[in-house]
Amino acid sequence: MNEITSESKQMKNTDDEWEPKILAFLCNWCSYAGADLAGVSRIQYPPNIRVVRVPCSGRINPYFIVKALLDGWDGVLVSGCHPGDCHYLTGNLVARRRFGILKDLLEFFGIEPDRVNFMWASAAEGERFAVLIRKTTKLVKKMGPNKKFEKKW
Amino acid sequence: MEKIGAVMVVGAGIGGSQAALDLADSGYKVYLIESTTSIGGVMAQLDKTFPTNDCAMCIVSPKLVETGRHQNIDLSINCEIQDVIGEAGNFTIKVLKKSLYINPEKCTGCGVCGRECPVEAIDVFNEGLANYAATSVKYPQAVPLVFAIDKNYCIGCGICQGVCKAKAIEYDRKDEEVEINVGAIILAPGFDEYIPPEGNLYGYGKYKNVVTSIEFERILSASGPYAGRVLRPSDGDVPEKVAFLQCVGSRDYTGKGKPYCSSVCCMYTAKEAVIAHEHMHQIQPTIFSMDIRAYGKDFDKYIIRAQEEYEVRYIRSRISSITEVPETKDLRIKYETEDGTVVEEDYHMVVLAVGLNPPNDAQFLAEKFGVELNEYDFAMTDIFNPVQTSKPGIFACGAFSSPKDIPDTVTQASAAAGCVNQLLHEKKGTLITEKTLPPEIFVRGQPPRIGVFICYCGINIGGFLDVPEVTKYASNLPNVVLADNNLYTCSADTQTLIKDTIKEYHLNRVVVASCTPRTHEPLFQETIREAGLNRYLFQMANIRDQCSWVHMNEWDKATEKAKDLVRMAVNKARNIEAIERIKLPVTQKTLIVGGGISGMVAALNFATQGYETFLIEKQKELGGFARHIYNTLEGGNVQEFISDLIEKINSNKLIRVFTQAEIEIIDGYIGNFKTTVIHGSKKEKTEFEHGVVIVATGAKEYQPTEYLYGQNNKVILQSEFEKLLNTSNDINDKKSVVMIQCVGSRNDDHPYCSKMCCAEAIKNALLAKQKNPNVEVVVLFRDIRTYGFKEKYYREAREKGVIFINYEENEPPEIISEGSILKIKLKTLKMGEITIESDLLVLSAGIIAKREDNEELAKMLKVPLNDDNFFLEAHVKLRPVDFATEGVFVAGLAHCPKTIEDSISQANAAVARACTILSKDEIEVEGKIGEIDMARCTGCGMCIDNCAYNAIELIDDRRFGRVAYINSILCKGCGACAGNCRCAAIDIRGFTGEQIFAMITGRN
Amino acid sequence: MGDIESENQDIENSIKELARNLLRDKEVDVIIGYTKGTVPLSSSPVFITREEDTDKLLWNNLCYVNLANYLAPRIPKLYDEEGQKLKVGIVAKGCVGRALIHLAVENQINFENIKMIGISCNGIINRKRIEKEIGEREILETSILGNSIIVKGRDFEETFPFDEYLNELCKVCKVKSPPNVDDSCVGECLENPVIEDDFNDISDFESKTSEEKWVYIKDTLSACTRCYACREVCPMCYCNLCFVDQNKPIWFGKTTDFTDIFAFHFNRAMHLAGRCVACGACSSVCPMGIDLNLITRKLEKIVKERYNFTSGMDKETVPPMMSFSMDDKEEFMMEED
Repeated sequence: MNEITSESKQMKNTDDEWEPKILAFLCNWCSYAGADLAGVSRIQYPPNIRVVRVPCSGRINPYFIVKALLDGWDGVLVSGCHPGDCHYLTGNLVARRRFGILKDLLEFFGIEPDRVNFMWASAAEGERFAVLIRKTTKLVKKMGPNKKFEKKW
Repeated sequence: MEKIGAVMVVGAGIGGSQAALDLADSGYKVYLIESTTSIGGVMAQLDKTFPTNDCAMCIVSPKLVETGRHQNIDLSINCEIQDVIGEAGNFTIKVLKKSLYINPEKCTGCGVCGRECPVEAIDVFNEGLANYAATSVKYPQAVPLVFAIDKNYCIGCGICQGVCKAKAIEYDRKDEEVEINVGAIILAPGFDEYIPPEGNLYGYGKYKNVVTSIEFERILSASGPYAGRVLRPSDGDVPEKVAFLQCVGSRDYTGKGKPYCSSVCCMYTAKEAVIAHEHMHQIQPTIFSMDIRAYGKDFDKYIIRAQEEYEVRYIRSRISSITEVPETKDLRIKYETEDGTVVEEDYHMVVLAVGLNPPNDAQFLAEKFGVELNEYDFAMTDIFNPVQTSKPGIFACGAFSSPKDIPDTVTQASAAAGCVNQLLHEKKGTLITEKTLPPEIFVRGQPPRIGVFICYCGINIGGFLDVPEVTKYASNLPNVVLADNNLYTCSADTQTLIKDTIKEYHLNRVVVASCTPRTHEPLFQETIREAGLNRYLFQMANIRDQCSWVHMNEWDKATEKAKDLVRMAVNKARNIEAIERIKLPVTQKTLIVGGGISGMVAALNFATQGYETFLIEKQKELGGFARHIYNTLEGGNVQEFISDLIEKINSNKLIRVFTQAEIEIIDGYIGNFKTTVIHGSKKEKTEFEHGVVIVATGAKEYQPTEYLYGQNNKVILQSEFEKLLNTSNDINDKKSVVMIQCVGSRNDDHPYCSKMCCAEAIKNALLAKQKNPNVEVVVLFRDIRTYGFKEKYYREAREKGVIFINYEENEPPEIISEGSILKIKLKTLKMGEITIESDLLVLSAGIIAKREDNEELAKMLKVPLNDDNFFLEAHVKLRPVDFATEGVFVAGLAHCPKTIEDSISQANAAVARACTILSKDEIEVEGKIGEIDMARCTGCGMCIDNCAYNAIELIDDRRFGRVAYINSILCKGCGACAGNCRCAAIDIRGFTGEQIFAMITGRN
Repeated sequence: MGDIESENQDIENSIKELARNLLRDKEVDVIIGYTKGTVPLSSSPVFITREEDTDKLLWNNLCYVNLANYLAPRIPKLYDEEGQKLKVGIVAKGCVGRALIHLAVENQINFENIKMIGISCNGIINRKRIEKEIGEREILETSILGNSIIVKGRDFEETFPFDEYLNELCKVCKVKSPPNVDDSCVGECLENPVIEDDFNDISDFESKTSEEKWVYIKDTLSACTRCYACREVCPMCYCNLCFVDQNKPIWFGKTTDFTDIFAFHFNRAMHLAGRCVACGACSSVCPMGIDLNLITRKLEKIVKERYNFTSGMDKETVPPMMSFSMDDKEEFMMEED
């Protein structure tokens, strides 16, 4: 139950600056491939994301995102194929509806809008992937640690 | 000579890869021979593809990976054909496998050699716009991922040999000559682009800001030289005014270029203009073109969108000169507008829409394989079967036989595979080997015993993060029995080590932390399966591509990230279960809906292969749309072809024809359909089972209400004119025939091109001139779309005196009936308003979908229609004859307007695709699919509407009432259903909620 | 029409008459309606099968329960002795009608067996607010007099202006009568209603900063004891096993730590997007007085603005979570700077 304390210990890095941890859900066919391409092209980006591979952005149940926030991840990133590129034809379009509602509701419930970010990245967009990871890291960093959901007991 | 159940495919672009996959999936051994060092061809170079603007790499790379690792495909790169002997059914080919100077068995594709190579050579893939090393792969996602040394640049310094931990560099590696024995050959060498020669009038090669379209394609690409930003080469500025010049090297009779139309440039230019504007909004593209040839499915809509939404400006003109403004490096273009004014404009950049040439080695290939080339050096093919070369047993597909786009190439590739099926069917399955695997160890219910293997990947991982530290961390995670690290986890000796370790430590889950699962997961899954573990008891952590390579200067943080990734993989592994893939029997019979040319060709192909076939036709007779066509533009005798087909159909015992037939019910799914047909004048009812369906219901001719059709007997349709020409001599008394093009096409009601009308008009104009040289023939057109080699006939018609006059959509000709003559009034840009007197007005009526019929059938088969009520294929580019609903295929006019030859290709292609199912006794279903917990499901039906594959339906369960049911045959495991399910009644095997939660939580 | 008091009388008379007719003509076997509640400031649902019992039916401004809940699949179906499904007449204010229609869209009910007794609802009293005003004192009787709410106790009588003490959702309600579908409605109903809504009522909250919103949400929801009354009373919460009760996996904790409370309310809100019919029963029933109406309104606004959808208006329009379009708004997607 003392997840948070040990977690904050882990956060202590070699340099003193606080580094956020961001959970990234990447669809297998475009965004995960785009992330791989960034690697193959050796494009450097901040080491803050931790990737969960999913078959399609359509797979992502809002529970996953809420759970990540409740569990103390500082940010959540979801990336899928651009509309029209979906390996499963329309999975990302189904997902986009859900994400639009989720994003609005999170904001309405008082969660900082920048904690949860959504993006599209194709298999050819290694550079874009890195650029957006830099951006999301910067945004989350600016907000500071996610302390809203520390369990009292 | 005995037939051989193997096929050679020459050229591994998208066409060759498709043909290879279709045949390999149908039980043939395939030798795929590629002359360069990786597969994918031109498509892998493209940024996006029209008309959907799909990312080319996203859609092609899964296909290439599949090609690269298919167990029935033997892929050889860097090859040269030496010698070919034999005949249809049994050829022997000598192939020279040229040395890569790197041992492909050992190379892991890690790329350290390329990074350390001191020689900067030119990057051919990026069209010379960027540099690369002498040791290289063609592009980052290359298949196979094996490096090669380019001896033209290599200076033999030995650095790569020093840095390669896999010891794969072998400078003295020799070329190898092999003999391959196959039953058929498919030639798919693709094309080469036209490169404007020195001293060309466009200043290409002289002016820096003049680039070819394929160079521009790389500039657009996110993985290109400017990382997707559109910059001009001279100074790296954003070019706001970009001119695209069409027909560079095409439709050129001067001898400098090629006389034929390259078919694809109009569309790719529109696409490049759109994408350029989309990438950088300040870019304003201008396209100079003669005719806009947007003849394919949904192409015209794309052109309209380009103009309306992306501010693309079209100018109908061929430019007269282009000069560089020395100070700015801008380009000054001089051209004549349609009304004859000469205009000069400056542009920041010029893109030349270069045409498609036959491949440079066309002559060489033709000679080696003994096939004939046509007058333009493309492969000569049969007049009715565009994939049949002049030599039996050798087929051609893609741009080798004529310039064509990706969907047509893919269709032809499958068509060639369909023809090979027809030739070699009795040898199917004779040369493929099936691996014998040990029985699976039963692990359900046992506590997880996880083995973790962490890869150094030479220095690719180990050089940037602390592998021993990660290993130590992993060994302390719950349920981890053993954590070890390896120099290369993917090498052959490590596979043996993993297998031994599984046995020694009784591991029941395996985690590998190395590179990306997208390329390496299948390899490791195979390994653990060989050790008796179910394939799905495996997890990967990507600590190279997504960690060490992107955090090369952050040792501590990269190490920490790698630990997290390994922990997450272990957490998931703790929750994974063995997955059994379901197998289902396949009914090896076929149903073809529609007895036109497409349906008949497909039926004959199936029957030749021994499949019982049900062919149903709504009309009394077979023949369909083509019954009204006498000849093709190229001179093929259509009537003879049809009667020959009908005779063959009627005499084939395996084909059961139902005429005056309608489908009452189609039930079931891939491999197991059941259909009831009501047929004949007595309305008999017949029920039968089948494994696949081909939709070939055709289309119909538009019945005009405009231009006095039906009111004045001097106004007839093009099809009626054709009959008149072929069955009477009435043309001899005519003085003037006027034809109007695009009647019922390219308008608001039918916003698409009917594709054949231009060719039909020119064909009949030529015949009219031949029968009565004195008759005046005037064609009123919007664009003449004689794409490809049909351009020749357009030129011939003009030479024979046929007059072509352009009219605009918003100012159509006006018809006035005066006694025995018709007066046709028209506004033209050059001549002002003119009036033509005519004694016969011929309307080129378009092709329209059979809306009611299509809607009814679409509903029964659960397949979609497009806005124009034609059937909508699964993927416009790469699955042109498939539907998203598996086991159902489309061919012919039901899909969109097309020529007879294209319909035949599509029919054979549909057969080839169907054979990938029919060739198996049972089909195995993907393991990672959805499953329903009926106790949780409330049957609200949300999942049904969100499923792209129609895999879900509501059923009435005896215990749980109305609940959703997932057909595991149709499910692809995307999870769109599970993501939305409030009750959490749906889970996706391999990506269950529990597994994903384990990755999110459990940080210790 | 005159004041609220006489409106109520007219509505009640019409309910009784329509109910009597339906039973007499054997068009339905049972009527589901409201009757006098067992405690003040309430009403009770009632099932009536005999014509003569229709006098028990009433209408007042305390009929907050969404009767569609009694046809929701979680509730055992209404069957006669032979196991035949009974035909049901149901007293339907606008939000009951909307709930029924949405349940039909989700394949949960079928209008073949249902007659809506449509009324033009004149609003439900915010009982929580009145209870708050009365405080510790015991309420013995409530009634409507003219346009006022009269609350009587042992030694007090208080008067509240009706308009002011209306439920927030009722104040902005645009669907007072049930939309007619499948000709299933008798009495007051709307034919092909088109709804315009400016959602001005929540713009104040929307303009707050993230932190202010969080403080409000945390303050409000912290009172939750997770009794699930809101879920039980909701016609759209008909899952066989609610996600908070599932244990494979345990999606979220079952405690009343704020983290777990948040998980329940947030995810429940997600589940109601494009489905909630804004009846307000959840807030009316909450023993801790938590106001969920703000969330209800936001849900309505999101689906209206993003997907131009209002739940429960007709059976044909596909709800947003069951469909998608290439052109859906995606302004929230992160882009390169």
